[in-house]
Amino acid sequence: MTLTSLLAPYWPTRKGLLLSLAMVAVLVALPLIAADSYTLHFVWKVLFWALAAAAWNIAGGYAGQFSLGHAAFFGLGAYGSTLLYMHFGLSPWIGMFVGAGAAVAFATLIGALTLRLQGPFFALASIAFAEVLRIAIVNWRSFTGGAEGLSLPFDPSFANMMFSDRLWYVYIMMAALLIVLLITYVLERSWIGYALAAMRENEEAAEALGVDTVRAKLFSIGLSALLSAIAGTLYANYILLIEPSTVLSIGFSVEIALIAIIGGMGTPLGPILGAVLIVPLSEYLRAEFAGSLQGLYLLVYGALLIVMVIVMPLGLMSAIREPRTAARRLRGVFGGSSRRRPVREESRHA
Amino acid sequence: MSAIIVQLLVSGLLLGGIYALISIGLTLIFGVSRIKNFAHGDFVMVGMYLTYVLNSWSGLDSYLVLLIVTPLMFLFGLFLSWAIIRPIQGAPQVAQIFATVGLGLVLQNVTLMIFGGDFRTTASVFAGKVLRIGDIALPAPLLIAFAVAMAVVAVIYLFLKTSYTGKAMRAVAQDRRSASLMSIDVKGIDLFTFGLGTACAGLTGALLAPMFPVYPTVGINLVLIAFVVVVLGGLGSIAGALIGGLAIGLIETLSGFFIGSEMRQMAYFLVFLAVLLLRPAGLFGQRGSEKLGA
Repeated sequence: MTLTSLLAPYWPTRKGLLLSLAMVAVLVALPLIAADSYTLHFVWKVLFWALAAAAWNIAGGYAGQFSLGHAAFFGLGAYGSTLLYMHFGLSPWIGMFVGAGAAVAFATLIGALTLRLQGPFFALASIAFAEVLRIAIVNWRSFTGGAEGLSLPFDPSFANMMFSDRLWYVYIMMAALLIVLLITYVLERSWIGYALAAMRENEEAAEALGVDTVRAKLFSIGLSALLSAIAGTLYANYILLIEPSTVLSIGFSVEIALIAIIGGMGTPLGPILGAVLIVPLSEYLRAEFAGSLQGLYLLVYGALLIVMVIVMPLGLMSAIREPRTAARRLRGVFGGSSRRRPVREESRHA
Repeated sequence: MSAIIVQLLVSGLLLGGIYALISIGLTLIFGVSRIKNFAHGDFVMVGMYLTYVLNSWSGLDSYLVLLIVTPLMFLFGLFLSWAIIRPIQGAPQVAQIFATVGLGLVLQNVTLMIFGGDFRTTASVFAGKVLRIGDIALPAPLLIAFAVAMAVVAVIYLFLKTSYTGKAMRAVAQDRRSASLMSIDVKGIDLFTFGLGTACAGLTGALLAPMFPVYPTVGINLVLIAFVVVVLGGLGSIAGALIGGLAIGLIETLSGFFIGSEMRQMAYFLVFLAVLLLRPAGLFGQRGSEKLGA
């Protein structure tokens, strides 16, 4: 077997390749064209949310493990690298992987304990685990800074993963997102991807076909946690402030999931599409109505989420891939006809 | 020392009665319609704000306002059931989970936009009044809330056992298809059940308003407690919700005293996880019932 034939299943289609190359080109060129610090911050934010949502997507989208506790993994990454840096002077580049290791361990614990739980009950258990972690961190004041959180002293150097020029942060985030995208592509086309999809559609049938669902679940949530933790470290070293009320909150977990769901779960590009649409929207709403109508952007998020899961439960990517099916669904919901035509995709995630 | 223990037990039970009332709405909606309502705590929050607004606007005591809030919340529940819950019946799981998560976000932020993030307190003649029996102090609002909660639980229990609608609800809970074949209006029952559950949440909100300040995210904690209670007691079980509520109230009060107030939440989350892992059907649920909703 030659290398080409081994890699063949992972080779993207020409359309996919062109699309990815165009995206990379735009992302690489963008900071060079518009290099003022506000634009860079904005680009960073889009990339960051895309990364967090893409990490969630592996457990939530591909394996059907609808976690509402991803803030825990994210927080372990952020707190892990930051505490090691502040207490022991360890470079965040190394701390990042220690934090990720902690997140994988936590995810394996959650996964092993919740194997029997399905859908909503897994979501509830993931909230409970995340809350236990949040309460523990808030109460371990001497080490974690308690409810006030941790503020990183700004000391720019490559080893400290802190930079005076925001362009650095944007490129690091971009690299991380590309790596996750690549992992997702390979995952989707490998036997693991098919095993995860089979488990998501019907756990018992997948087991009957020989899918080791225990391993599939643990693998998906572990990988998802690892990538979320890395996103956490990158966040901490850019924002330089981590508070339990933001990075460990349920609201944060919901926002991550929401971006992936609106963009399209179980597709590599869905989370990116979600972030590209949602982040500018929230920035606009926050800038336009700051002060007078605080909370408006979350209100819009919530309304969008309701409409999306009712009208297009597979996200915007499904509308791009199969516009006719999406249009039929739209007519089904808004057309008022009581007899809804069968939609092929409706069985997914059911 | 023994007086403290008695005081703790009594306070825990009273608090647990309120938790039971929140949870009964949640367990009814779950049991009959298989809907996991993640916005249930936010319904309590809406009830608290409604009580606050009507109380400060009309000057009526919050316990009189309660008689307006509860039917209003029933109508609100009917509307939400028609607009949001009906389309997600039988929809993919992601819709079933995230539609009510989105609803919660909307409710929290609508109230944030209207009232801001400040804590608001509702006036009542009973607020701050304490009944003393020997060494034991019983805050009047807590006592009233407990009494009302127990009465409502009893009424709902009898309603389910004796009335036609109640029997129809139980039939739908057992088997939707067979119920519809027996010419039970399943969609109507879904609508009514959601209204009833929402009314229970709103009533709890009205009872809580004189005791606790209200703020837009107060419901997040309440919905988690309610789910803990419902899972502990057994999904869809009224008796389970009552006993689960009382148990969680006791656990919260006792662990708050003996371990430390910041550990109270930790205690019931650990109980929750233990129940999910050891007996996911809950204490009074039938085995396997945790899979029904999936």
